[in-house]
Amino acid sequence: MVGAQKTTRGWRRIGLHLFLTSTSFVMVAPFIWVLLTSFKRSTDIVTETPQLLPQVWTLENYLKLPQVAPFVRFFLNSIIVSGVSTLFIALGSAACGYIFAKYRFRGRDFLFFLVISTILIPLQTYIVPLYLLTWKLGWINSYQGLIFPLIIMSSGIFFLRQNIMSIPDELIDAARVDGASEWKVFRSVILPLSVSPIAAISIVNWVYTWSLFIWPLIVANSTEMFTMELGLMYFQREYAVDYGGIMAACIITLLPVLAIFLIFRTRIIEGVAFTGMKY
Amino acid sequence: MGGRLTRSQIGFLWGIVMPVIALFIIIRVIPILIVLLMSFTNFNLNRPLTRFLPYQNFTRLFGDPNFLTAFINSTEFVLIAVPLEIILGLAFAIYLNRKVRFESIYETLYFLPYIVPMVPSAIIWKWIYAPGTYGLANYLLDQMGFARVGWMSTPQISLLAVIGIHIWKQLGFFVIVFLVGLKNIPSDFREAAVVDGATPWEITRKVDIPLLKPVILFGVVMATIWAWSAFTEVYIMSQGTDISTGAEIQVLVTRIYAEGFLYFNMGYASAISFVLFIVSLIFVALQFKLIKVEST
Repeated sequence: MVGAQKTTRGWRRIGLHLFLTSTSFVMVAPFIWVLLTSFKRSTDIVTETPQLLPQVWTLENYLKLPQVAPFVRFFLNSIIVSGVSTLFIALGSAACGYIFAKYRFRGRDFLFFLVISTILIPLQTYIVPLYLLTWKLGWINSYQGLIFPLIIMSSGIFFLRQNIMSIPDELIDAARVDGASEWKVFRSVILPLSVSPIAAISIVNWVYTWSLFIWPLIVANSTEMFTMELGLMYFQREYAVDYGGIMAACIITLLPVLAIFLIFRTRIIEGVAFTGMKY
Repeated sequence: MGGRLTRSQIGFLWGIVMPVIALFIIIRVIPILIVLLMSFTNFNLNRPLTRFLPYQNFTRLFGDPNFLTAFINSTEFVLIAVPLEIILGLAFAIYLNRKVRFESIYETLYFLPYIVPMVPSAIIWKWIYAPGTYGLANYLLDQMGFARVGWMSTPQISLLAVIGIHIWKQLGFFVIVFLVGLKNIPSDFREAAVVDGATPWEITRKVDIPLLKPVILFGVVMATIWAWSAFTEVYIMSQGTDISTGAEIQVLVTRIYAEGFLYFNMGYASAISFVLFIVSLIFVALQFKLIKVEST
């Protein structure tokens, strides 16, 4: 009796794993397929019966990329845009989080509401006026234009506020009694104690800005301002039949995000679950 | 603390925090207000004169076949993507929560498409959906003895194919959010149910799902907003496919993009944004209401 129960439970376990393995395989299969394809010779890619593994492993698809399109430039542009944005987000969120957590002043709740209320309204909604603003500022096709809508993040402020609220007031007051200025308190008390949440939102923001597409699509209109996403899109439009090249370019675009994800997996999941959870 | 702010605190407030608030107003609040105003004009970057149109943009919307197609497609996007994302997300989260081995590996694999950028993902899918013999999807159908499908040439199917990409991409988010929610449920609840002799399915139905309700509702709001404002996957998929398919799969945001940034009809594009906004707003309001319910 007990034995029979054990076997049904064993079968159930196996079924569960089969279900989880097969579904998670579907999730990653496209990436594996593309990764393998990117190492094939172009003559082996479009065939009657697709081959899973390359007949001859080659790097030609990767090596030719910098020659056909300025991918190095695209890559640097993406690094600049997401890097500068993340720097602003990290500092701005920590400073605002500190104020909203620890200061008491009239209008604070209203300001906090102002920051939080726009959180669920997608950029797509107000992209027309945002473009006009960028245009008036003369920032079309410039780094300023690409970056400036990305330097604020409601959920970052919310996340830091939640974390800073748990820092004991005594620590802050002790620093103040010692005659520290607010900037000093922020730098020597708040920042060191918020490293982990700042890291979480920075990584999430970096991934988000790296992946952004619609804003660069509208603002960057010459090749030297393209980000990786935009360069990739134009590349696949121009070289529609060069599947090997396109797949190699796809892999290069998603590789940095993949690397960051695998290194900071727990932080990212925590950050995304929170910025999602508490918006 | 309490009491009045010191001079140093006021300096910090105005020096660092107020500029950030000002940015919020300039980058978000004002553009949102302007888009509402612009939707009542015929503003066009190429035309110097702008006129106030009290209702014309909105009457025009409902006679514009492109807008109507986009509106119907976006609605279809929401109606198909949201239930599937929530149900599949819940199923995976519930299974992962049953103390399976390698849980973190599964979690990572499910989450992978969500974290990876949309442009390469969509391009990869476009290639899988490719027509003729070299598309992987058709090859697999062939192997299983089914007829080939015109993934990107039959309008109804191409919309479903795009929605499929969207679901594949977003699902991981819901798995994670629901899994975190499930982990936050105190284990006593489940243990008590086990003592009462409940089967795993009964525990799921009577313990997990009811206690997860606020998180599920949150998930529905997020899923709806994302499906409703989908852009990149649709844009990439309609590139280079024949024009008619591109027109058949357009959604609200691709309409905003086309009217505003290809034809510079920014007043009219704003009217479409208005429609997008109102629906988003309803969901934001719903979300705020849910939070209130949750905290009382």
